[in-house]
Amino acid sequence: MTTPTDPMNMFRDVVNQWEKLANEYGSQLLARPEAAQAMHSVTSAGLQVQNAVQEAMSKVLTAANMPSKAEIETLGQRLTAVEASLARIEAMLSSGGNAASPAAKPKPTRGRKPAPKA
Amino acid sequence: MSDAPDIMERAQTEFERAMLRNIKGLDYFASPAPVLGASAKETLIARGPLRFYHYKPLVDDVYRVPVMLVMATTNRGYIFDMVPGQSFVEFLLKQGFDVFMVDWEAPRPDEKHLSIEDYVGDFLPQCVAKVAEVTGEPDLSVVGYCFGGVLSILWASLYASDNLKNLVTFTTPVNFEGMPLFQAWSDKRFFDVDRLVDTLGNCPAEMLYTSFDMLRPGGRIAGNIRLWDNLWNDEFVKSYRMFDRWSADMLPLAGEYFRQTTKQLMWDNALMRRTMTVGGREVDLSRITVPFLHVTAEHDHIVPAAASEPLIDMVGSTDKQAVVLKGGHVSLVAGGNAIKRLWPQIDRWLGERST
Repeated sequence: MTTPTDPMNMFRDVVNQWEKLANEYGSQLLARPEAAQAMHSVTSAGLQVQNAVQEAMSKVLTAANMPSKAEIETLGQRLTAVEASLARIEAMLSSGGNAASPAAKPKPTRGRKPAPKA
Repeated sequence: MSDAPDIMERAQTEFERAMLRNIKGLDYFASPAPVLGASAKETLIARGPLRFYHYKPLVDDVYRVPVMLVMATTNRGYIFDMVPGQSFVEFLLKQGFDVFMVDWEAPRPDEKHLSIEDYVGDFLPQCVAKVAEVTGEPDLSVVGYCFGGVLSILWASLYASDNLKNLVTFTTPVNFEGMPLFQAWSDKRFFDVDRLVDTLGNCPAEMLYTSFDMLRPGGRIAGNIRLWDNLWNDEFVKSYRMFDRWSADMLPLAGEYFRQTTKQLMWDNALMRRTMTVGGREVDLSRITVPFLHVTAEHDHIVPAAASEPLIDMVGSTDKQAVVLKGGHVSLVAGGNAIKRLWPQIDRWLGERST
């Protein structure tokens, strides 16, 4: 399966070599300050746009008497607290009113020792 | 002339593989991804991004000391529980350990304020207390993977007392100057982390995924070519799908937590310089004196040796061991390499210290 003329193995070698070179030179290129600067310029431009959209949306929502993102987030927080309370109540109900239900389950003993060394 | 039968045989094999590639290629796109993380477990805590699981023991007699796995905050914990036969959790359960796992969900927009202090001083202590409550045991072993290891050592140095019996870290960075690409990309001259967090709230998973992907610029293309080449091989395809799904399944990071890790770890390298603080308390890793095992991977492109190696000397334990195993950042803990190399070592090391 590994004859020197095997075209598939030659192809695999080429892929391996290409990957090695791409990783090596690509990493060198991406480690340059110019690359980081370019990456963050793009991110920064995106953030600027997002900021502007957020501010505009906030004004529109206020004008339309609609809840803002912050208000929805606060609502989300309160819903999470309600969910947590429900989970606690569910756990208590499923354990017959006893919150410490795991204790009621059969547990393995805890006396295991490591196998002696050969 | 002697090569002629070989060439014919090879041509026939390749023809068969080409046929299988076509058939299985259709399967690949039409079939659902394998179910991962399916070991039987109970969710003990679901609070904010924290999910704390207790796995159902598989033997009647377990080691006295329970094991708590701590997952990195950027990825899902099912890397420890892929599929039966390739699950670290299942392996530990079969070896007689009582296994818990600290796993994470994506923080919601209103959880952008979560900080390192919340993870280290609130989530982890709550999980440790829960282990004691469920098992009745006063102590436990903690096993942290990647940044889960960072959280574990921070907790161990600041909040652990007699409740920590053993500490194990996998591919855990302490010297962030040893991660040159991440260093370059978080260069404070160009990267305005305050602006990003103040605008977006949480750090998007897509941004993290792109960063990790760019660590190996040729990796994705070469990976896809290898997938095509091996489409005839069910085992390869199954493994590829598992790992590909896991690596793409990244989590966003809570904004404040991301801001702190960027400033304290990436910019100031505070853990290495021993200037790190969490909630105003100074981190001193020499306070960790329990048995300590530090495992790193020889070909780790995410946390290279320069980033992880110094940890062993910073910890104050007398019973401590550094192990370098063949493999990469992920193949160290999951897949065929891990089954053969890492898992048996962990079983031996923890087993001797878990009675």
